[in-house]
Amino acid sequence: MARFSITKDLEAMVEFEGVGIRMPRARQRKVPSKLRRFAGEAAPEQVWRLRDITLSVQPGQAVAILGRRNSGREALLRLAAGTLIPDEGRVRRQAKIVPMIDVAAAMARNMTVRQNIYVIGGLLGLTPKTMGELIPKIAQLAGLQGQLERSLAPLSNRQINRLAWSIGVLTGERAFAIDKTHIGEDPDFAATVKERMTQMRADGVTFIVSADTPEVFLDDWDRAIVLEGGSILADTSLAEATVLFDSLGGPDDDERDDDMRIEESFEERDDLSEDELWEEPDDETRPRKKPAE
Amino acid sequence: MLRMLVLRELQTQYSRFRFGYLWTLLEPLGLSVILWLVFSVLLGPRKLGLQPYLLFLSVAMLPWWWFTKGINASVRSFRRNVAQLRISTLPTQFWVLRILMVSTVEFLMSIPVIVIAVLLTRDIPGPLIIFYPVAILAQFLFMYGIALALASWNVVAPDVARLVRLGMRGLFYLSPILYSVSNIPERVRPLAALNPLVGILGLYRIGWWPQEIEDTLHYGLSLGVGALTFAFGWIVFRRLESRVLKES
Repeated sequence: MARFSITKDLEAMVEFEGVGIRMPRARQRKVPSKLRRFAGEAAPEQVWRLRDITLSVQPGQAVAILGRRNSGREALLRLAAGTLIPDEGRVRRQAKIVPMIDVAAAMARNMTVRQNIYVIGGLLGLTPKTMGELIPKIAQLAGLQGQLERSLAPLSNRQINRLAWSIGVLTGERAFAIDKTHIGEDPDFAATVKERMTQMRADGVTFIVSADTPEVFLDDWDRAIVLEGGSILADTSLAEATVLFDSLGGPDDDERDDDMRIEESFEERDDLSEDELWEEPDDETRPRKKPAE
Repeated sequence: MLRMLVLRELQTQYSRFRFGYLWTLLEPLGLSVILWLVFSVLLGPRKLGLQPYLLFLSVAMLPWWWFTKGINASVRSFRRNVAQLRISTLPTQFWVLRILMVSTVEFLMSIPVIVIAVLLTRDIPGPLIIFYPVAILAQFLFMYGIALALASWNVVAPDVARLVRLGMRGLFYLSPILYSVSNIPERVRPLAALNPLVGILGLYRIGWWPQEIEDTLHYGLSLGVGALTFAFGWIVFRRLESRVLKES
């Protein structure tokens, strides 16, 4: 089991040794998928997304990852959490790292809040036993008390993102890889997020966060890593990294989180008839993904 | 966790149909009756299969239905769950296993029909019926192997799902469902034995028709190929797992 191996006697929380990974090239989403397939683009070419990454994050550190689109931020976080397998080098981790990466996209709109907590919590590693007592806490943190039996459909994207974040942080693990939480777009919830994460940090929890504005999550960061074109440009303090990052052009101009729309994912398209199967609905119904990363 | 995912899937599948569970029975049994009408009544009694033909058909049709439903659904299990794969700390193969378990539960729920039919018609099977659970286990492993390989390939090339549907149609006629192994000409039998379903379906049937077992060697070969398929599927999956994750 290459994916989630845990090296207990490792000193660092997570350690990358010469890690490289090839990923499918970002797809242009403008052309309809049928046309693209016709043009022979069914299997996109693989390009190096990260190359020669060596770094280690110590337990209790808070590390911000800065980078533009295609810089390999998400790949780095997914490698740390173990939801990607590197093509080169190796990643070792001391304990489980929760992949809080676009959790909202994995939620099913036709299921109730409770069911979603069950499924998502389970994916993130909660056992059904601990789930029972956690459910009310998660609902409370997300501001969804008393709405456990409601389906997700009438909820706003903000509420869904809050729920996703709440499930993640309440898993009670000691380390988190965080990306695409959309919390930056939710000022009313920002205080809750910061308060909770500051407290967790004080308790020695490790955070690796990819964000354009890390200040949303924590005031105090141990370090910041600037990624550019798949390699580490700088590994320094947040202040210096921000200056460097701004000199590179700063965050992408267009809204980074263009996949705000959370499309219904699994459970929804399950009973396709034979004819529908022939239509190959995969591509169209796939949760829309930001190009690259 | 796996159990929960399976239950949830079953729940969503059945909540939207009025007859729910009945459909899992009606489809394969309806097909059996139609085929029985065609091959036994319309075309008159002939040397196809063994008697009683309706039971002979049904005993193989239910596992076949499990096979085709399960494989067709699981081929898409990785593609369908990309958003979940991205955050899942569960083993990757769970997504395939989950779909497979759903079809397995459906199949197990359809077995009572055979039991009722047997009690009504008094076609009580002999002691060799002990191979029935063995057949279930063998089929499950065979399916798991195929499903792992196909679901992984389908991520790399989305056309696999279509090919599989065509392949399933072919396999229906290449497997002893309508007919018995004894209907296969002697010299082609070693070739037919390369199909794991020959052995598996045979194991389901020998409780009623012990003459189906006359060729132990071929059954052994057939089941051996089934075991190899499982190993092969597992290796394919292991090699492609990284690709599957990248596409999520």
